[in-house]
Amino acid sequence: MLMILLELNQLKLYYTTIRGVVRAVDNVDLNVEAGEAVGLVGESGCGKTSMANAIIKMLPNNVALYEGRIILDGLNIVDLPEDEVRRKVRWRQISIVFQGAMNVLNPVIKVGHQVAEPLIIHGEMDRDEAYKIAREKMKLVGLHEEVFNRYPHELSGGMKQRVVIAMALVMNPKIVILDEPTSALDVSIQAQIMNLLKKLKRELNISMIFITHDIALASDISDKIAVMYAGQIVEIGSAEQVLISPKHPYTQKLLKATPKLTGEEKPEFIPGTPPDLVNPPSGCRFHPRCPYVMDICREREPRRFEPEKGQKTMCWLYGGET
Amino acid sequence: MGLARTLFMRALTLITVLVLVIFFMVLVLGATGTSDKILQAMVNEEIMMLRQSLAKTIKDPQELERVINIRKQELTEFYGLTKPWYVRLPDMAWRVLTLELGKARTLKTFAGGNKVSDIVMERLTNTIILVTSATVISAIVGLVLGVRIATRVGGILDRLSSYFSAISYAIPTWWIGIILILVFAFLLRLFPFGGLYSTPPPSDPYMKFLDIIWHAVLPVTTLVIASIGVWIYTTRTIVLNTAQEDFVNAARARGLPEELVRRRYIMRVAAPPILTNVILGLATSISGAILTETVFNWPGLGRLFYDAVLVMDEVVVIALTYIFTLVYVVARFLLEVLYVILDPRVRY
Amino acid sequence: MSTRFKEAFQEFWRLNVSKIGVVFLTVLVILSIYVVVSYPLDFGVRYWNNPLYWADYPKSAPPSWVNYFSNEKIPEHYTFSSIKPSNTLLTESGIRLIYLFKLDFQADKTPTFLSLTVKNVTYYDKPVIIRLNVTRPDGKNIELYRYTVPAPYVDESPPYKRFYDQSKRISLTGDLSVASILARFLSREYNVTIKPSEVNSIGQHKIIFSIPKGDTQFTVLKGDYTFYIIVDTYDSRDSVGEVKLVVGGDVYGFMGTDSLGRDLSVGLLFGFPIALFIGIVTSTITTLLGAGLGIMGGYIGGKLDEVIQRTADFVNNIPLLPLLIFLAFILGQNLWIIVFLLVVFGWPTLTIIVRSMVLQLKSGQFIEAAIAIGAPRWWIMFRHIFPQVAPFIFAQLIFFTPTFILLEAALSFLGLGDPTMPTWGQILEYGFRSGGIYVGLWWWIIPPGLLIIWTAITFVLIALGMEPVVNPRLRRMK
Repeated sequence: MLMILLELNQLKLYYTTIRGVVRAVDNVDLNVEAGEAVGLVGESGCGKTSMANAIIKMLPNNVALYEGRIILDGLNIVDLPEDEVRRKVRWRQISIVFQGAMNVLNPVIKVGHQVAEPLIIHGEMDRDEAYKIAREKMKLVGLHEEVFNRYPHELSGGMKQRVVIAMALVMNPKIVILDEPTSALDVSIQAQIMNLLKKLKRELNISMIFITHDIALASDISDKIAVMYAGQIVEIGSAEQVLISPKHPYTQKLLKATPKLTGEEKPEFIPGTPPDLVNPPSGCRFHPRCPYVMDICREREPRRFEPEKGQKTMCWLYGGET
Repeated sequence: MGLARTLFMRALTLITVLVLVIFFMVLVLGATGTSDKILQAMVNEEIMMLRQSLAKTIKDPQELERVINIRKQELTEFYGLTKPWYVRLPDMAWRVLTLELGKARTLKTFAGGNKVSDIVMERLTNTIILVTSATVISAIVGLVLGVRIATRVGGILDRLSSYFSAISYAIPTWWIGIILILVFAFLLRLFPFGGLYSTPPPSDPYMKFLDIIWHAVLPVTTLVIASIGVWIYTTRTIVLNTAQEDFVNAARARGLPEELVRRRYIMRVAAPPILTNVILGLATSISGAILTETVFNWPGLGRLFYDAVLVMDEVVVIALTYIFTLVYVVARFLLEVLYVILDPRVRY
Repeated sequence: MSTRFKEAFQEFWRLNVSKIGVVFLTVLVILSIYVVVSYPLDFGVRYWNNPLYWADYPKSAPPSWVNYFSNEKIPEHYTFSSIKPSNTLLTESGIRLIYLFKLDFQADKTPTFLSLTVKNVTYYDKPVIIRLNVTRPDGKNIELYRYTVPAPYVDESPPYKRFYDQSKRISLTGDLSVASILARFLSREYNVTIKPSEVNSIGQHKIIFSIPKGDTQFTVLKGDYTFYIIVDTYDSRDSVGEVKLVVGGDVYGFMGTDSLGRDLSVGLLFGFPIALFIGIVTSTITTLLGAGLGIMGGYIGGKLDEVIQRTADFVNNIPLLPLLIFLAFILGQNLWIIVFLLVVFGWPTLTIIVRSMVLQLKSGQFIEAAIAIGAPRWWIMFRHIFPQVAPFIFAQLIFFTPTFILLEAALSFLGLGDPTMPTWGQILEYGFRSGGIYVGLWWWIIPPGLLIIWTAITFVLIALGMEPVVNPRLRRMK
């Protein structure tokens, strides 16, 4: 089932700030296949959230550059007028579970209505019908019937996150982007939410883009893992490939920084500071922190090499030929 | 379940405030001897009237003095002047609370009565006319402009309004009123110098209504100028803060039309704090109108207060201080109720 | 600490509002210092609120520079005074002192009044006689007035001293003897018959400075006037301390006068130190009290905090202005009482904010470290917590200042100001109460208001300039 649902091609998203232009997403290529979960992993500030926003064209006011191609259903979202993106893409095709569920619900509207709202607006359904579907989705994510008529402040963090997930599913989208869906939750709740997501993936056969800073968490659900560093995807491959034989030094460091349940190894820190996206380092952006740094790394940006089939990485270590 | 309880608790707090204010006022009145002065004046007045009426029947001066002295003793006893002020305190507080402050010394109702509660009630309407129209105008203009500016942050209008609100923080309202009088009443002769209506007032009710409006233009403008800057600025800030909330962005991500996002996700959420401002503004401007009414000779509570201070009519000063506090506290309570209705977050 | 301060100052100085604010403040301070140094302490009682002092000033006169803007020239105000006679003559009965005052009168209107004042007269033999004559531009001479200094009292022995405690002011305007002299003068010189009472109602000063045109019309006579004050003495030891002749104008000085003739520039100038004093002193006490209570409540907590919080809540829940008026009314109108009242009503806002800031700081590691090494409470509050909130407190101090200046002005405007010290609010109050606005005495109404605004704006500007300095600190603390 090699059906590509979403194709990102040379996607760029730059912002203007007082300090200069921030290259939050820089030449990103990524394919998402039907029913596949892609884990997007990286340190905070590496451009993960910007990428999520770029995909559904939710651009802030200070956008400096937004180009490349986001192909969905034969349409390029980048070129699509805002109004069409709003009507055709958002929620119908792609929905997002935003970071920090605490603040994504309108405090003065009952949660049930908020879940049902897109149906009324996009689906042109009447209220009763929409409510019925919303109730079903809320049940699907494990919420009790009575939550429907509650206000957000009356719910716990975990319940809110479930509401937000139900909300993301309400229009049966093809792709759900989950931006750090569990980061604000207690560990026990985190596990519950992860199990829910796995269940949903299994039962509904939807595609997911799972954004997290926690590579271990990503591995739990993802079929494919993309590692992001300084606005670029530096390594991508199947979850197995990336976890077991990481190619890029950054991925290797990232894995070593993750505590493990078994073994004697202690987690290591990644030396150096995260890169500045306004003035990224020359050549390979990881070179100031890389233990294997070579001369070429400082001068030229690495191309994408494929040391193993299906596993691509942006690192000169694998560029046998010059 | 929690709604009634919350409101009850707030009501209780505010009533406590009211009671404390009265207690405090009474304490000040008693400790400074003002209360003795007032009561003594009441006794003296009654004695004076008694003397006038008795003088016709009792011809013997000695007999007259004797009768009057007895009566004076009774009255002194009755008003509690024989006891120290702190013993009279509860009674005194009750008098303030029920506005049973007796008669004003020099101030009168328009009909000529001098019962304090009558005078106060008569003027209250005029103040309400002035303050509500000014607040409604500032609120509407302030809200519309504030919301507009919030969508164009950093624009000319935005900068102008922030300068304006900074400057209006430094301008005394009453002075604006004086300048308006100087320009529009004295120089251009467009509006009257002050008062509620012309003398004599037009007999036709419609004309009378227009006459009142004509008289209200300058004082209302004064109040509006004084408060509009703050209005625009607060509205702008609240709307702006709300617009930056995650849930607004999330609503956009859900593909909800911008119009709906603005109405249900920004304005609806920004409404309670803005409303707080409206009511609080209303409550403070009722006492703030003291100065504006004074300048425009508007026969409301504020002007009454000024007149009372001017002629040293303590009874009226006390009554008005109490009324102002009462209005303020009631407005605060209404505010709480409305807030609770509008914002589900505080219902616990 | 000092580099931190320097950085903060640089940040502050970067903005134009700060620069303007600081320049304004400097001017305010210089003017205030000038007033404090040069004005007597009892200025309010002795001069400002003493009508006698202002008797020789024109009433409700606009500033003299209005003449530049009008075609019709309004007469200026002339005060001539001399302690030495211009001439002494030996007559058969004694010595005659002659004081000579020349006036080139070019205004299109006649003066508003005429008055003569003598001071410190001493005589030994017969009472001194004082006369006032005038020679007009048309060469006509009028003997206007003749006054004999009061004769010795029974049992009084020479030297007879007169007008030492209080000078003798003779208003020629309104004087009936002058009126009769002028009536005779008019009939003799111009054949105009007019009764002395009519002269009195037209105004003696008007007749002197004009020539009749028909029976009731007068036109201003421009040109050189010479006034002679002639004092006949009968003993060589007799003396006159000072003579003063005032030709009342209808414009005065740079700022004009009020309806009592008070020179507004003098009163307005006096308002500077008072406004600054009330603003800064009240604000400082309020901020220190508010912040102190906030820090104590927040840091110590417990019962103390509870009491402070409840009180703050209470004060915050009552309407400010009516109670302020009530208390100022009951407790009396005194500068210190007003300052006290403003402080009493002003502190809670800051206490509430500072307390919540302290609560956040309290859990900070450096505080816990300080507690761990056994630092005493006051030490922690003073050395660790206070410096953290100090920039914010200082900004609030500046920010509160205009509020207090305006509140005092409001109280003054309602007639609750300290009567011993003229403030801008009081000047406005008198202008309003005496009907100044209804007859358009703009020079009386506009300047005090503008000065209040100017002073308040100065602090608003500085506060605006301080915002970027203080705010990042605030954000960091959150």
